[in-house]
Amino acid sequence: MFKFFSSTNIYLIIQKLIKFINSIFVLILIIGLTFALILSPPDYLQGDAVRIMYVHVPSAWLGLACFSVITFLSVLNYIFKIKNFYFINKSLAPIGLLFTCLAIVTGSLWGQPTWGTWWAWDARLTSMLALMLFYTFYILSFKLLNKEELIIKVSSIIAVIGSINLPIIKYSVEWWTTLHQPASIKISGSSTIHTEMMMPLMVMLLVFSLYAALIFLMKYKTEIIRIKKKNIKRN
Amino acid sequence: MISNLITMNGYGLYVWLSFSIVFISCAFVYFKTKKTLKKYEQEFLKKFQTLTIEEKNKALETSKVAQQILAISSKES
Repeated sequence: MFKFFSSTNIYLIIQKLIKFINSIFVLILIIGLTFALILSPPDYLQGDAVRIMYVHVPSAWLGLACFSVITFLSVLNYIFKIKNFYFINKSLAPIGLLFTCLAIVTGSLWGQPTWGTWWAWDARLTSMLALMLFYTFYILSFKLLNKEELIIKVSSIIAVIGSINLPIIKYSVEWWTTLHQPASIKISGSSTIHTEMMMPLMVMLLVFSLYAALIFLMKYKTEIIRIKKKNIKRN
Repeated sequence: MISNLITMNGYGLYVWLSFSIVFISCAFVYFKTKKTLKKYEQEFLKKFQTLTIEEKNKALETSKVAQQILAISSKES
């Protein structure tokens, strides 16, 4: 069982997954863009500005999801010292940072025509900015520190402190009065988004998820090669 | 219809700018990641070439990763 999770087997699986994602990605991207930009209807209040949702929402969700995974694996790595988790986190963090930045920028571009301002220091926007800073500190811990043990310690602390911000982001629109609208899609309870908008959103979420997976796999593969290069004579 | 798609009833600038920023950023990260991956593959190959024949054989016998990298580079060249 453990042999299956050896870096060699993981490397072979990564190769196949990268090929698979590359083969379907463009097709799904074209379908997603067609729905998002042409086929989905404009909103009765926001008009065509609502189309920004199809890039803003998946970016924000993936930004949050990456940090949740990083926190979970950081804690496991700190307790059980599983080196693979360290490499997974190192590969995931830049993707999370990218999506968080994109969520903030596209949110700003959505805010201007909808609220009449690019930015407001309201709870949702400020907590997303805090998430971006936590990602930055997390990545800096890998870049600035040399000893692996120290990196694991510092990055785990950043991840755990940063995880406190995750429920704040999620519930900020309920706990405080914010410019940002409340969640339209709920895991429990009925969503307030129409199927004609929900469908393109799900396709775009799939596109963003595939892209995230592709970048993650390429970064993880780079990490495996880096280790193999270091230990080439020991193989 | 095309002009409607471009102007998006006055929201075109915001919508197209959002999609463009996302597309350009993602494309940039993709190509940068791919370039780094290729760089490490090349560095691995360079280090592999410095090994003695025995060390090369041993590395190839025990490491499927080394085999894969060599196979990919020979396909590309």
